[in-house]
Amino acid sequence: MTDSKIPYTRMDVCNRSLETVKHSRNLGMEVLSAEEEGVRVRLPWREDLVGNPDTGVLHGGAIFAMMDQAGGMANSCRLYPNFEITPTIDFRVDHLHAPTPGKAVICHAACYRLTEHVTFVRLTTWEEGKEDGEPVATGLATYTRMKIDKNGRVVS
Amino acid sequence: MTESLKALIEACRHGKADYQDLVDRVPYARFLGIELRVQGEELTFILPKNPDNIGNPTLPALHGGAVAGFMEQAAIIFILLEMGEPKVPKTIDFTIDYLRAGLFRDTFAECRITRLGRRIANVHISAWQKRREEPITIARAHFLLSEENN
Repeated sequence: MTDSKIPYTRMDVCNRSLETVKHSRNLGMEVLSAEEEGVRVRLPWREDLVGNPDTGVLHGGAIFAMMDQAGGMANSCRLYPNFEITPTIDFRVDHLHAPTPGKAVICHAACYRLTEHVTFVRLTTWEEGKEDGEPVATGLATYTRMKIDKNGRVVS
Repeated sequence: MTESLKALIEACRHGKADYQDLVDRVPYARFLGIELRVQGEELTFILPKNPDNIGNPTLPALHGGAVAGFMEQAAIIFILLEMGEPKVPKTIDFTIDYLRAGLFRDTFAECRITRLGRRIANVHISAWQKRREEPITIARAHFLLSEENN
């Protein structure tokens, strides 16, 4: 199947999922790129996402939520042009160092293995502008595949 | 700032301040709307049902990330209250298992410190909606109890 025959792009799929997921919208997430090899997603620094009011560093939970969502999008990109729901089975995040207060973070997520029922995703998060340097967080996750029909019902 | 946190925790322990003040001190905890219930010396954390935390609008189900963030913050507050010398712990790693869909309803969490070392705290967190015995997610996390930035 050539991409030109499909009326929507991977970027469309990712943006669509952001539109429907209210919590991710509230976090201010933004999709920067969406390819078969993976997605790049941005999370802004915002005062209400701070974890330690004394330092102004983003909360690990906000970074986690963004990475979990990015992992789901990496699945969508890999499964494209098919749609599937991919609930998270398990997710681990390592916080390597704190991002600078005031700076956005960028996550790259890629599905590196797809089996009949499970997807395996690797994620790396950098401070914006320092994507060549050391990451602030890395993640490893598995998701389960739930195929859906045209009406959005789960079929297997 | 450290002094104000220390004073607040002391006040909470002696019933002179509301534990909720400790939660509301953290912007991200307010973002999620985390609440805290104290029964004797038992702490239960609550993530009240809130449309802002929805991840799947069709089911509807809570965003896995919101539940994870809630559990991480619960662990941080739990450690703060358990420590003699309170310093905001830094998350080293956080691992979560999603066992059941988080439905659009109130979510509860409890924490257990597996080991509180001098530098590292190992915490187990469990979250449920209907019954404590049927967790929707379980997580384990490590926190650094460092001196810097506190």
